[in-house]
Amino acid sequence: MRSEMSVQSLAAPGFFSDLQAFWAVVRREWTIFVRYPSWIIALFIWPVIFPMGYILTARALSGVNGTGLATFKQTTGLNEYVGYIAVGTMVWMWQNIVLWSVGGSLRNEQMRGTLESNWLSPTWRFSYLLGSSVPQFISMLMLMAIATLEYIFLFNVKFEGSLWLSLLVVLVAIPSVYGLGFAFASLVITMKESNAFVFLVRGIVMVFCGITYPIAMLPDWMQSVSKWLPQTYIIHGMRTAALTNEGISGIAFDLQMLMVFGIIWLIIGYLLFNRMERRARKTGAIGQY
Amino acid sequence: MHSTFARLIANYREYLMQVESLSQPTFASHMRALYSLSRKDWKQYWRYPLNAVSSVFQPLIWIAPIYFMGLAFSVNGKAIGFSQYSGTTDFMSFILLGTVLESFINAVFWGMGYALKNDMDSGVMESNWLTPIPRLLILVGHSVTNLVVTLITAMGMLLFGGLIFGFNASGDVLKAFIPIIPMMIGLYGFGFAFAAVVMLMREANTLVDVSSFLVQIFSGANFPVNALPRFLLPVALILPLTYGLDAVRSQLIGTTTILPFAGEIVLLVVFMVVMLWIGISAFRSLERRVRLLGTLGQH
Repeated sequence: MRSEMSVQSLAAPGFFSDLQAFWAVVRREWTIFVRYPSWIIALFIWPVIFPMGYILTARALSGVNGTGLATFKQTTGLNEYVGYIAVGTMVWMWQNIVLWSVGGSLRNEQMRGTLESNWLSPTWRFSYLLGSSVPQFISMLMLMAIATLEYIFLFNVKFEGSLWLSLLVVLVAIPSVYGLGFAFASLVITMKESNAFVFLVRGIVMVFCGITYPIAMLPDWMQSVSKWLPQTYIIHGMRTAALTNEGISGIAFDLQMLMVFGIIWLIIGYLLFNRMERRARKTGAIGQY
Repeated sequence: MHSTFARLIANYREYLMQVESLSQPTFASHMRALYSLSRKDWKQYWRYPLNAVSSVFQPLIWIAPIYFMGLAFSVNGKAIGFSQYSGTTDFMSFILLGTVLESFINAVFWGMGYALKNDMDSGVMESNWLTPIPRLLILVGHSVTNLVVTLITAMGMLLFGGLIFGFNASGDVLKAFIPIIPMMIGLYGFGFAFAAVVMLMREANTLVDVSSFLVQIFSGANFPVNALPRFLLPVALILPLTYGLDAVRSQLIGTTTILPFAGEIVLLVVFMVVMLWIGISAFRSLERRVRLLGTLGQH
């Protein structure tokens, strides 16, 4: 029986074949992304209308003669509330899109019925998740570039900081944002219900990480929670880099924390993926949904 | 020439289809159909209790950043700047009330179109459409459960929102219902037209997401519309919902209104009549087109 089972595979997996598989996943995801014209709406319209609700509320809170704005300036040290909100909501949108796309990538394959057959191919399985992250990150960079131009020309935001430091924050934030996405993907494929989990995670980011307000506004216990969330440091770092002239010293602590969180979340993401993969092979339930 | 021929074919088909039905629809049978539709939706909704919990807390999560942002603009919890536009320093009661009313608007505005899309996806649309029930009644039936569920979740939102953020309404609750009635009936008109568009397009998500977000912004769910920049103000002023939200708030939390209260009620009644007429006409014409195309069962 044993000898019958141990048939020799004709596949010869190696580094290059894994790279090919990874590239195939990247190409597939990109083709699916550009196939539906609604991505244009996502790129051009959402960055404007999502922060607009908060910006207009802040405008109302400022008052006719700027009474409220003076208080805001005392609290945050910034006069530019539009840029302040735009940067915060942008980071939230990034994490939200990663949760839906990368976090839901395996689940989507499960729903389409292609996950089980892909799982049987002699490839490095983690490349399914890594591959889906690449087109997502490219589209996110496009979204950030378009959004920045829209904020400058439509909302008249003055980004007085440095473009390169802002990009550095984005770069250092990648492991945290996508590590959470990987962990999320493994969790969702086991629990089968993605919507409720996305609502929960993005809700936590929305309430605790200060997308429209300084963390100092939160009660003490909420501030303690926000310190454990990498998105708090991404938002703070991005705001400091893009809106102020504080330079690298202003974002040094945020970068350190993001590196630590990045390592932690990548490890959690990878471990959860391996655990899910083993469990799926044992139970044989990977194709079920 | 070609269009005349097509019309002749269509008329001939219609003639062939005019067979006598064995059903005997009465008012009572219509009410039974309405009850069955509502009961089906009710059972389906409570089958996923996590959704119910989510519909109470999701809107609260969305307004939480506004609450903390409002604190950054306030002194001792009073938003003086906000009161210059709205007439109240209690910005959170203003926003919470707007969010609750917006959830009712969404239930009627988009709920019927979404329900039809769900029927299409689950493959029951065509068979439901063949039953001898007025089609508008099917739409109304879909909205009944939606409204009851929204009422329950709105109470949950006010309760939890009040506990978390504080909610102070000291006005006349009965008088606040005067603008709600024409506003909601008028919204049914829009809902009928939107449902017909969904039947024709067979896609609802992107359309609904973007439009509901824009309507929410411009009708002033989260801020007084007179705080809008001059060039955006006309957009808010042509939306009848703006006056509905404004009138309800003035009665419950004593905000200053854009127009006198009576003037806003007259506008809402005109909106109700016009929207019902447009909605029913649009639905009848588009529904006929979908039947001619034969795409009712496709999705």
